[in-house]
Amino acid sequence: MQSLISFSFKNLKRKPARTAILVFAIALLASALVFSISFVTRVNGSIRKTAERLGADLIVVPTNARGAAEEVLLENQIKSFYMDRGLVDRVRAIEGVDKVTEQIYLVTLGTMCCSVPEAMVIAFNQDTDFIIKPWLIEKLKRPLAKGEAVAGAESAFNIRLGLVDVDSMLFGNVFRLVGSLDKTGTGLDNAVFIGMENMDAIYASGKAKNVPPGRVSVAFVKVKPGVDPSKVAARIEDSIIEVDTMARKDIGKNIIATLKDMSRIFTMTIALAAVMSFFLVWAIFTAIANERAKEVGIMRAIGAKESHIMILFVIEVLVIGVIGSTLGIIAGSVLSVATTKTFSIVKQLSTDLSGAERLTIAAVSFLGGTLICVLGALGPVRRLKRMEPLLVLKSE
Amino acid sequence: MSHIIIENLSKEYRVDSQTIAAVSGASAVIERGRFVSIVGHSGSGKTTLLSLVGGMVLPTAGRVLFNSTDIYQWDSDRLSEYRCEKVGFMFQSASLLPILTAKENLLLPVAFRSASLQDGSDERRAEDLLRSVGLGDKINSYPSQLSGGQQRRVAIARAFMNRPELILADEPTGDLDEDTEEEMMQFFLRMNSEHKTTFLIVTHNTDLASRASVRFRMDNGKLQAL
Repeated sequence: MQSLISFSFKNLKRKPARTAILVFAIALLASALVFSISFVTRVNGSIRKTAERLGADLIVVPTNARGAAEEVLLENQIKSFYMDRGLVDRVRAIEGVDKVTEQIYLVTLGTMCCSVPEAMVIAFNQDTDFIIKPWLIEKLKRPLAKGEAVAGAESAFNIRLGLVDVDSMLFGNVFRLVGSLDKTGTGLDNAVFIGMENMDAIYASGKAKNVPPGRVSVAFVKVKPGVDPSKVAARIEDSIIEVDTMARKDIGKNIIATLKDMSRIFTMTIALAAVMSFFLVWAIFTAIANERAKEVGIMRAIGAKESHIMILFVIEVLVIGVIGSTLGIIAGSVLSVATTKTFSIVKQLSTDLSGAERLTIAAVSFLGGTLICVLGALGPVRRLKRMEPLLVLKSE
Repeated sequence: MSHIIIENLSKEYRVDSQTIAAVSGASAVIERGRFVSIVGHSGSGKTTLLSLVGGMVLPTAGRVLFNSTDIYQWDSDRLSEYRCEKVGFMFQSASLLPILTAKENLLLPVAFRSASLQDGSDERRAEDLLRSVGLGDKINSYPSQLSGGQQRRVAIARAFMNRPELILADEPTGDLDEDTEEEMMQFFLRMNSEHKTTFLIVTHNTDLASRASVRFRMDNGKLQAL
């Protein structure tokens, strides 16, 4: 076996340019696989996690603000939109609604109002909240007092709030930042959270001019056990024309639609790359088979079984596949990281790939690249292994 | 017990619409350790007969018995084992693999053997055989670095690598000068007498043919004892 392996390596070195072309083709295929699967997994994961972590069945937003709400929750964008606070009570009265809690989204505008860079400040109702409080209790072990704030994980990093108990000016009021929350993987990681009871002081300061008193941005709704959220959503929209609703499963619907188109493009590109790689391997191994027909005849004549010929070529193919796929995985991973910094849709995603996801993507790409290489070479090699040993005598 | 029995062996080829009888009803009994020569004109069927005995091509009719077993009852893998472990081939040209050194070419049949030793004895045997054919200084040379005669000698050494019971040689000394031809002849006779290896040699060389203990002539596919 060792001799066959070393023979295979010698064969690969025989025509280095040809071997390099094959390795390059497989590397391209594997890198395309890594890049596209990483992209789609990341966007999908971000949407799924956001929906799971919000803890609400429905999100009620002002009419036509669905897109903006998704951008806040999924893409970490800084947006503000408002509706009348009275609508929250009307939502609470809808049949099937269990809990409702509202939030106000405020945008800091740097030194004009605040001592932190531009960020989203979310005022939440501590009496009714079921979105932020679970994290807050876990982290701070108590509700926020008036004049206190906590920062989301990313926000804390951005505004260097790794240090707690620092005072910051927010909308003309001094807030003591008493801690930061763990990473949630949602757009909320980039916000600073304060209690709703601070809003009177903020309104009084006049520094949050675009937020009129008596307005809120969103209301999160939990439906009663056993009630279908989509039916409750339909009831809310039918009864209150000033609002739109987003079901948990609908979060990211627009992005998913775009993503599906992108996935189709990626799939087609990968399919084309796979077909091209297959035919390249097939063509090159057909040429190799013709070139080495006499050598195979010699080997068959001196005792090689069909399986020996198969092993010999399969080792060559596997070496090309393994090296190509490994290089492709490295290149694809580098490309994925690079696009995080350049593609705005990826840059704004709130979640990154986990180690297990990265490993799975690498394994799938590795298998994909290697399999195409093996399949491409299989036909020519199968023809070759059946070669009559007599050929060597007749060709003399 | 006879070593090889060739029984009414025929091989026909179809070329376009014509049927060509390369070997026609050949029969022979060869005892173990015999040195057999076959002479004949080009195209008389000598090479085809050799390939039939070597299990490289299916006969149209007849049988080849090796140690009383019909080799054409075996499947492809068993025939490969027969060619690898029982038979040593010397083809009309050296037929070496160009990317392997002389020693690696000798070790190639070892790689195809069903049981191989890992104690380095195969490597030592390859080196010894190369020394025996006068190529002790060319052990790690590639075929392209060897003359035609040297390549031929590597192929001769390779045929003995797996200690075969039967050597099938097709014009084995064709490319060699007179001195080397004589040296190889002596080498064959020594292997024949020391190891009781059976030789079936196709040759145009009348001197070589005359030294065989059993002699045949092929004429138009027919095998005749001389």
